Amino acid sequence: MAVWDILQSFIPQLVLIMFALLMPLFDYLLDNKKWLSLIALAPLVEVLATLVAWLFLGWWSPPADSEIDLLEFNTFTGLFMMVFIAVGIVIVLGSPEFIRPDRNQGEYYSLILLAITGMTIVAQAADLIVLFVGLEIAGISSFALSGFRKSEKRSAEAATKYFVVGAFSSAMTLFAISLLYGVVGTTNISAIGEAIWSGSDWIEESKPIILLATVLLIAGLGFKIAAVPFHMWAPDVYEGSPTPISGLLAAASKKMGFAALLKIFLISLFFIKADWDIAIAIVAVLTMTVGNLIAVSQTNIKRMLAYSSIAQAGYILIALPIGTQYAVAGAMFHILTHAFMKSGAFMVVAAMGVAAIGEKLDDFKGLYKRSPFLAFSMAVFLLSLAGIPPLAGFASKFVLFSSAVYGSIDVGPTWLIWLAVAGVLNSALSLYYYARVIKNMYMEKGPEDRIRVPPLLFVSVLVALVMVVVLGIYPTEVINLFEEAAQFAFPSLPWGG
Amino acid sequence: MFEGIPIISIIILLPLIGAIITFCMGKYDKYAKWVAFGFSLASLILSLFVVMEFSLNPSDSATGFHDSANWFDYQFYESYAWIESLGISYTVGLDGISLPLFVLTTLLCTLSILFSWDTTNRPKQYFGLMLVLEVGVLGVFTTLDYFTFYVFWEVVLIPMYFLIGIWGGPNKDYAAIKFFIYTHVASLAILISIMAMYFESGAASFSMEQIGTATYTGTFQVIVFAAMFFGFGVKLPMVPFHTWLPDAHVEAPTAGSVLLAGLLLKMGGYGLIRVAIPTLSDGALDLQLLVAVVAIASILYGAILCLAQKDLKKMVAYSSISHMGFVLLGFATFTQLGIVAGVFQMFAHGLVTAVLFMMCGVVQHHVGTRLIPSLGGLAKTMPVAAAMMTMGFLASLGLPGLVSFAAEFMVLASTFETWGLWLFLPIISVAITAAYYLWALQKSMFGPLTNKIDTSHVHDMNWYESVPVGLLLALTAVFGVFPLVVFQYIDKATALLMTLLGGG
Repeated sequence: MAVWDILQSFIPQLVLIMFALLMPLFDYLLDNKKWLSLIALAPLVEVLATLVAWLFLGWWSPPADSEIDLLEFNTFTGLFMMVFIAVGIVIVLGSPEFIRPDRNQGEYYSLILLAITGMTIVAQAADLIVLFVGLEIAGISSFALSGFRKSEKRSAEAATKYFVVGAFSSAMTLFAISLLYGVVGTTNISAIGEAIWSGSDWIEESKPIILLATVLLIAGLGFKIAAVPFHMWAPDVYEGSPTPISGLLAAASKKMGFAALLKIFLISLFFIKADWDIAIAIVAVLTMTVGNLIAVSQTNIKRMLAYSSIAQAGYILIALPIGTQYAVAGAMFHILTHAFMKSGAFMVVAAMGVAAIGEKLDDFKGLYKRSPFLAFSMAVFLLSLAGIPPLAGFASKFVLFSSAVYGSIDVGPTWLIWLAVAGVLNSALSLYYYARVIKNMYMEKGPEDRIRVPPLLFVSVLVALVMVVVLGIYPTEVINLFEEAAQFAFPSLPWGG
Repeated sequence: MFEGIPIISIIILLPLIGAIITFCMGKYDKYAKWVAFGFSLASLILSLFVVMEFSLNPSDSATGFHDSANWFDYQFYESYAWIESLGISYTVGLDGISLPLFVLTTLLCTLSILFSWDTTNRPKQYFGLMLVLEVGVLGVFTTLDYFTFYVFWEVVLIPMYFLIGIWGGPNKDYAAIKFFIYTHVASLAILISIMAMYFESGAASFSMEQIGTATYTGTFQVIVFAAMFFGFGVKLPMVPFHTWLPDAHVEAPTAGSVLLAGLLLKMGGYGLIRVAIPTLSDGALDLQLLVAVVAIASILYGAILCLAQKDLKKMVAYSSISHMGFVLLGFATFTQLGIVAGVFQMFAHGLVTAVLFMMCGVVQHHVGTRLIPSLGGLAKTMPVAAAMMTMGFLASLGLPGLVSFAAEFMVLASTFETWGLWLFLPIISVAITAAYYLWALQKSMFGPLTNKIDTSHVHDMNWYESVPVGLLLALTAVFGVFPLVVFQYIDKATALLMTLLGGG
């Protein structure tokens, strides 16, 4: 066996890593740096094509159960990988014009590829150590990326802040993992779940330690997904990073945290759900409410989008206390749609940055005349974020919130309904600040000179736009796939849909 | 005639295609109004054919869908799966309750586009948004799937937000966002209610046929009906959730006001009678008194506020609150007469209020102000406008022989049947209504010509203004004399509904 078997599960990452290592070389060889982005695109497209061929077309399937229990390859991991890769494509497409004046472009792309490698490892991890390694690969690459414009004060500050917070949260996560290992004697995610389920005397005695580990995990991973009260770093980092990187952090890096959370809490710690569900429910409601409330008062679009990301994380987080397969499907669906809406919105901001337009909300005034395409796309992304049908954000929020309603009616405690109510009220609140941007774009007068949208950025915004509309109008296939994935990856959860 | 042809979908799709063409017209935007008018007119003509084909005896109809055990009897029925795993479908069909509102929609949209003929500020977006609005409203009135219902319901919000926010008056920013947030919060209450019914029924389907006929427990019905009552009531609007309406109306462009009052308010009433009341009839009966009190409060409060208004358009806006209160009062009786009257009042109010808002627009446009104290004696300079406004006001205050009289009379009759002499409360409003309309008419149109404003350039109505108003006034008279033309459809459908409510 076995080397080949091990490698087979690892091929996507190998491709990505290989290209990541070669990027500086291409940087050295090529004069026109624009081609770098196309080279960086190659492995992403390759992996995406493989994933699509497997998930949607059924042309091949990965080995059913691999001999090693470090990496797993099922629809759940496949879909998460697809989200990361898709965001990567949108970001890489949007980058060349944005970083045209910068040096070290090869490193920029290789860091993006490495960050995405890390994220895919988290998605595939069947073992806490592997999961942690993935978190670190993605984390360290993102720290460097956010400080990519090192001569810019804002960028350097963002990188420092991100690094300090990131290191701190990694430490907490690692400590929690070591506590769990100490109690259970394994780092395998499902083995931990089985051990806790067995409820032996030893587990009962060491319950306080497991709870301590749970708290540390909520905090450590809470930093990664910027849940309130662990969110303070996010707006500063998003604002300071180069705009495409802000998009990567908001749309992909955060989702990695969710992949980890879903795996750990709904597999390893599911049998003590009663001990943590209220805590996470409170964190979720706080996250969405605080995120939206602060977003209302923002005047910088990137900070506003950052707080809106925080709020969206709150919506996704409600899947954990609901704890049904249907809720997990909803969370994954929302992760997918949010990835497109958010990365699309950041790419619009990046396109405006290329045209030397600022990042203030007032800079959006009269955008519909300067670039009808950008204004329309931004309006669609924002309305979708607010959950207006028939856009993708509505479809995914619908599945997510309805899972809370069902949870309260049938499978879970009745207070789950309040999660849906909180989510719905927050969606209404968020409409206020999204509508303000739309108002600025369409209803205010501004400068009238046309903006030229660079072709690659145009394509990247278009990809996101098409996905947001298509997923909104025809979500059937995707919902089926997510349901299947949730059933497969979380067999012990109730169905609840 | 329409066997095998998805006629309803075609009527919904036509304005959508028109909207896309209009948005993409680039520099040919002076032709946008022609495209918009053409597509809305096509929808109108097709919808008139639908009326002709509509059979009073549904089981004769070849395009029908009949499930007589479940009060489910629709014509021009179409159904396609949309999101199968959640039991969501795109299903449309018409019955006697939705038919009048359906035709009202195509009619008012066409006339509003005609009325806006002189729009030169960003015309392609203006007319495109009007068509999108038409798509949304038509969808709401025809869909038979709760999920699709909600989607169309929300689709209506966005064009209206833009219509107010871009082409509105001086305070448009505030009005637009207030309208948007207020009604969106209300929609979300509806959304949660729909989700709750979906799961509680266990039918795994959002179709009206499935959810609508499932049985729900008592407390569930009361809670969910209360949520829906709030959601639909905001749109209606009912006191105390009416404050978005005067703001939105005062700032909206004339055609926007026409569609807002003529169609969007009807969506609230339609939602109550199509979704909330039949599905949760026990809950509705438990809350009957609340509904009635809110209805009477809206009727009286709206009418009293009208007395205090100086702005002609604001007065008409408040009168809408009062008149939509009659719709709610009719529904609150839970008698066949009351419900028929409520639906008919929606239809009547749609016709009449469109005239009133168009006349407000004419005054604003030609005279330059709508403030009643500055107006006076305009009949001398614009006789046609004065005549039309008089007729519109008379129709709205319920002059016998015009359409509102028939509707309001029946609402009051059913109120008397149900609550006896409590009738005196809503009936006060009839006197108040006459008072504010006549005073306003007297001060603005008759008497000596005003010297507070320059009236030397005031000329009478343009053809694109007088044609829609004239047509609507003619219809008010026709349906006032022959209300049975519309009644017969509503009555038939309501009779089916009553079997579900358990009344007679």
